[in-house]
Parts: sequence; structure tokens; C-alpha cells
Amino acid sequence: MPGPRYRAADAALLIVEPLDIFTAVFHRPSGTTHLLNEPAPQILEMLADAPLDAAALLDRLSRQYQLDEAEGADMLYARLDELEAAGLVDRL
Amino acid sequence: MDDMPIDQDQPPEEAAAKPASVTPSSATSRRTLMLGAVGASAVVAIRPALAQTTGSVQNCQIPVPEPGNSGKYIASDGSLAPPSLLGPITGLGPFPPPARPFTGEEVYRAMFQGSNLPGATANSTKAYLAYIKKLKMGQSGYTCFLSVQNPRN
Amino acid sequence: MRHRISLRVGPVGFRIGSDWRAPIAALDALYRDYPRPDFADYTVRLEATSFWRRWLRPSVQTLGDYHLPDSAPLPLAQGLLAAEMGMNLQVALGHRRHLLLHAAVVARDDRAVLLSGVSGAGKSTLALMLSRRGWRFLGDEFALIDPVSGLAYPFPRPISLKNESLGVIPPDSLTGPHLTGTPKGEVRHVAPDSAAIAAMDVPARPVLVIFPRFGQPLALHGMAPTETFVRLTQASTNYVALGEAGFRALTRLRSDVPAVALDYPDGESGVAAVESIWSQL
Repeated sequence: MPGPRYRAADAALLIVEPLDIFTAVFHRPSGTTHLLNEPAPQILEMLADAPLDAAALLDRLSRQYQLDEAEGADMLYARLDELEAAGLVDRL
Repeated sequence: MDDMPIDQDQPPEEAAAKPASVTPSSATSRRTLMLGAVGASAVVAIRPALAQTTGSVQNCQIPVPEPGNSGKYIASDGSLAPPSLLGPITGLGPFPPPARPFTGEEVYRAMFQGSNLPGATANSTKAYLAYIKKLKMGQSGYTCFLSVQNPRN
Repeated sequence: MRHRISLRVGPVGFRIGSDWRAPIAALDALYRDYPRPDFADYTVRLEATSFWRRWLRPSVQTLGDYHLPDSAPLPLAQGLLAAEMGMNLQVALGHRRHLLLHAAVVARDDRAVLLSGVSGAGKSTLALMLSRRGWRFLGDEFALIDPVSGLAYPFPRPISLKNESLGVIPPDSLTGPHLTGTPKGEVRHVAPDSAAIAAMDVPARPVLVIFPRFGQPLALHGMAPTETFVRLTQASTNYVALGEAGFRALTRLRSDVPAVALDYPDGESGVAAVESIWSQL
């Protein structure tokens, strides 16, 4: 049974400013500026289109990027937790 | 890579290792992506100053020492010192830096209510506070420190 | 309060009140050519620490909308310094109309260079020296960036020089008293030249940000966007308070304006380096 689905916070709530390896994101509801290092900007971008559960997200990421085989769902959950805590990603 | 043909957008060795999982129209080859940021979060909030619009005003942070000097120890007068075993042995400093930045709330309580900073002894609290009092405008945590001393509006 | 004066510096009006005449007289002299407004955005009060300390070893505490309860009072002889520090504090904590950056600003033809750094990085000294070489002086403490236009608005307060830098004060300058034994050592304030004061309402467009570091072998380093962005947030006292406008203003400044880190061994080399970088823009 698939886990919860995640999606990026509404585009209207965020201002995204790529810098270099980091991306700055302003979260309007909290007025907080976050610095995102990979893979957070990539995850955020991927979740902006449609909600995905972790397995589907991992699958999409592995098609677009070369992932380290040793890393897997645990790492991804850690990243999703961080993004959710910052209010940049919502869990459905 | 000097001999790379102009119409090929992948370095030769990668083209050999990977099957056609890269669509010909992609502008760049499929690059690596690390899911695990080693030892650190991939999402870091910038807290250079007080968020004055919120009800709870003491969430700003003061790193000791500021990020440019991380790893240095703090002497009892608040100046920076190289790491030394003397501090932990005598308890009089120089003290190793605290594990995380302090919040404005924690610094306020230590400065005005006499409590120790989290994880610190009375002596190391004095040293950390001395360091914080020496902060200048432009250093990380300075505005938070100013805001701690001006908690009203 | 018994003695008072109102001063305008760029877009900011101050009212300074004092229990003693001397600091007001010193301000009146140093700010001789500045407008005296009818309004005030901020108030600074120089008050005796106790009833007796108004006369016996007079001791000044600096109060206002914002003050530092933990700071030591200053002797009356340093009253001018107390007023200047008080003005800085009100602006640092209270100002919202512009994004504030702790930086000196100089300009040629209304194109500005921001010199950003902590006290001791040498920005005040560089700004004074450049202002004597044809650059317009827009300020040495705060850069005021308009959140809508991105322009830098002048805030040309008297330059505060300390210790070794006192030697660069040109002999024909209008200065405050030579203060010794202050918390910052020896201090003297130098009024900007009349051209800078006359142009205090004329903004300039930032075209270069320099992070100077005094007392190092001459070296120039480009700065990656993230480092520039983070250092600019640290240099701002009101970035978070401005919310979205602050984010937009700062990211725009970062993306529109090149930033470099300049290490320099002495004032003359620093000035030459700034001129050299400028000529290559």
C-alpha cells in the first residue's frame, strides 16, 4: 500500500531564487528564508507538478538523475521531512 | 575531453557506460544527485535577525562563534582562542564552542535572569555571553543580540 | 529635555535631546551644513544616569525608542559619540523604508560602490579617502536600498574614524572633538564635504559590491552567489523585518550587482584597487 503523497506548497506561497548549488526560497506565510542544497530544490521542483508518494518520487528522481544505489527511501524521507517542517512541501 | 565531438553532449566515457536512458533531446547528461547531505540538513533557515511580526519574538539565533570562525574556542573574556585541553580540564576556559546556535530567548534569560545557557556551566555561560557582547554589526547574530535587548516592538 | 536639536540626514530625521548643552553644541557644529527638519523619525535622549551624575562626574546614558540596557554609560566628554551611537541604533532597529546594509557607499556619476563589512574592515577609511579623490560620499555606516527601485539613497552622517585611521583626516576637514578613552579607543568624527551634503537626496544605482578586509596582502576574490547572498543577509539589520520586500530587494541586488572580496594591506593600496576594479566594470 503506497505511503502518503507529497506535493510542493502552492507556488503563490513561495519565491524561489536559484543561486548556485544552493537555492534560496522565501516562504511567504512564515516570512522565513531557507537555503536549499541538493536534492531539496530538485525534489521541490518535481513535486510542483503533481503529488507523488515517496516511491514514485524516488522513481522519477532516478530517471532524471544518477542516484547512488546505496541511498534509498530512508534518505528521501529525511529530505521530505525537512521540506515539510519548513512548510515548503505538504503531505496529503 | 579535448577531443569530444561537437555534436555529442556527453563525455565519451559516460556514453559508453549508460544505455539510452538519456533522451537525445536533453541538454545535459544525467548528472548525479546525492540524496543524503552528509551530516547536514538540505534545508537551512536563515535567521539573521528578529522576526518582529510574530508573537514569540525570541526565535532568532546567535551562533557562537560565527560561522566564519567555527571550531575556535571561546576564552573567558569572549575572545576567540585556538582549541585547548586546558579549558575542559580546569573549567576556566577557553571553552569549546556550543553544539548549536543559541536562540534570542536563551541569551535573554542568561543575560537578564541569570540562568545558564543550555549545555553550559556558569563559567562557560559567562564566556559565551562575553563573546556575544563583542559582536559587531555585520557579524552573524548581531541584530538578534540587539533585538534581545529591545524586546518591545 | 532642556537642550535639543533636529537634524536631517538623507531621508531620515532625528531629534536629539540632552540634559547638557555641550553635546548639542557639538552636534550643531559638526552638522553645520545639514538641514534642520521640522519632523523627526527617531528620537535620541542623552540623560544623566542619576540626579547627582548630572553635575558630579557627569555620566550619559543614551536612550530613545531603542536603547541598550546593558551598555555602560559614557562620560559627558564623549557625549557626541553617545549621540552618534544612539542615532545608529535607532536606524538599525527601527528603519523599514529601505533595506539596510552595514556598508559604506561612494559613487561616481550616480553609479555606486557598496563597501560592506564589520567595523575594522576599513570601509569608513576607504570611503573617506575615495571621497577625497572625486567620489561622492553617500555614507559610511548604512547603505539604504530602496526596495522598489533598488537605488541606494544617501545617508551621509559624519564619518567616525578610530585609532590608526585618525591619520587620514585631511587638515581642512570639519571635525568633532578628538575623543580618547572611548569603548572604541580614540575616535574623531569628520563631516562629509559640502558636495556630499548638498547631494544627500540624490540616489545612485549600485553597480559593485566589495567586501573589504584590511591588513591582508592584496588579493581579489570573486564570490559565489550563495556566499554573497548569505553575507548580505548578515550585513542587514532589517532583512527579516522587511519580509518579502527584503527578500526581493536582496536577491535583486545579488543578481544585478557583481560582488568581490578585496583583501588589502593599507589605505592607498585599497583605494588603488577599488579604482582599478571600477575601471574594468
